[in-house]
Amino acid sequence: MTTTPTTLSANGTREQYDWTCTHSSLRDWLVGTLRYDIWLTLAGYDILLRYRRSLLGPLWLTISMAALIAGMGPLYSALFNIPLSTFFPHLTLGIIFWNFFSCSIGDGCYTFISAAPYLKQAPYNRSIFTWRTLSRNFLILLHHMILFVPIALWAGISLSIEMLLFIPGLFITMLNLLGVITTVGFLSARFRDVPQIVSSILQLLMFMTPVFWLPESLPDRSKVIMLNPFASFLSALRSPLLGQVTSLRDWGIIGVSTLVNLACAITIYRVCRNRVVYWL
Amino acid sequence: MNAPFFDLKNACVDYPIYGSRASSLKTTLFAAATGGRIAIETGVTVVRALRDLTFSLRSGDRLGVVGHNGAGKSTLLRLLAGVYLPTAGTLQRGGTIASLIDPALGIEPEATGYENIYLRGLLMGLRRVDIRSAFDELCAFSGLGDYLRLPVRTYSTGMLMRLAFSIATCVRSDIILMDEWLSVGDAMFQEQAEARLRSIVSEAGILVLASHSEALIRRECNKLLRLDHGSPSGIVSLDRPPT
Repeated sequence: MTTTPTTLSANGTREQYDWTCTHSSLRDWLVGTLRYDIWLTLAGYDILLRYRRSLLGPLWLTISMAALIAGMGPLYSALFNIPLSTFFPHLTLGIIFWNFFSCSIGDGCYTFISAAPYLKQAPYNRSIFTWRTLSRNFLILLHHMILFVPIALWAGISLSIEMLLFIPGLFITMLNLLGVITTVGFLSARFRDVPQIVSSILQLLMFMTPVFWLPESLPDRSKVIMLNPFASFLSALRSPLLGQVTSLRDWGIIGVSTLVNLACAITIYRVCRNRVVYWL
Repeated sequence: MNAPFFDLKNACVDYPIYGSRASSLKTTLFAAATGGRIAIETGVTVVRALRDLTFSLRSGDRLGVVGHNGAGKSTLLRLLAGVYLPTAGTLQRGGTIASLIDPALGIEPEATGYENIYLRGLLMGLRRVDIRSAFDELCAFSGLGDYLRLPVRTYSTGMLMRLAFSIATCVRSDIILMDEWLSVGDAMFQEQAEARLRSIVSEAGILVLASHSEALIRRECNKLLRLDHGSPSGIVSLDRPPT
């Protein structure tokens, strides 16, 4: 299918939407990215409206996560024979961040499929919807992160300078999640098996990543599973908050994955941007 | 602002239909009475929704599009809106577009009327400040009063259409694309709506109106495009001076 580019002039007045400029994918991406008023509002309402008629509203996000952690913490600490004060903060952050990864990517598959009514009405910048998925899951992450505060206080984790490393860790993780959301979002619109494949892979990866278990307790010959990039991203987020330092090896894996991931995402964005609406 | 225009040259729209087994002998043998032409290419069913469209529209043109179900009227509107890029041929466009193809797009049933005004306004490309400045007039026009504080799911169909119409018509654009003339609400509101629609249409440089009613098109438009299985039969000028 050869697509002849449409010439669209971008001479909109201030209050008008600056429609997709089909010449440049980068411009298209940027214009959508800068309309954070649109995607943040959509993401906020996604969460708000889901809990609109419940008494506690989005606080249910926090409560249901608390129930999961409270149930698993003591049980697994006994099973693994690790003191609760070490294990509880590890598990809490593990589950919270893993949930952030897997829900972002799982939701990411439906980024464009669920935006079909919008995309069929007007040429919205595709990046609006990838940002909507990411920011919705980030807002959910914030609801979950509240839980870490009482647990850190209870476990006696003190504030340290290492904690500042959490900020670059979060930044690079979000960048990567945006890339994955873009990739799986476009692929899922074209191949409807992709969401199922992605959810199966995530299921498997959950056990291959030190979400529940401690990487130290892994026997030497199994250390190869620590090449899993999710383990490195998890470490970049979790270690600083536990007052530990993420290893250089982890940062290396993160760097390589970021390059590969962004190269994929940019290619797919460029190739699929104009075609995606034909697949919906 | 530049004058709005459309230039189409041999523009085609082909939809690939993945995951369908529509390529059966029966459908090929019996030409369908509805829909576009269905072509088979490399195992993927391709619907040729629009074929070889060549026409130009300039400021002042009011184009009516008629055709049977599935003739490609909505696809043409989407092509003009920039949703579909031509799979062959070219399309050039100037001017800002208001697409009233589905005025109820993006209405969230759980959100209140007020919230929906903001949501829908943002999705039409307005900034928050612009919505705020149009807000009071919009609320008054909708005639929904205190109902705007209730979730939209509690509205009747007519009330929902009032809200959607009020929001959709609060933007002024150079080009307006419409799928059927919007007629909403009870007798009183219909009159107001008609007046408002007429005013935004008269301010717009170009109107493209798809409809089944030729009488409507002869009343509102100065040009007519008849689509049959996605193929145009050429633009006919109607004897009516452009407004």
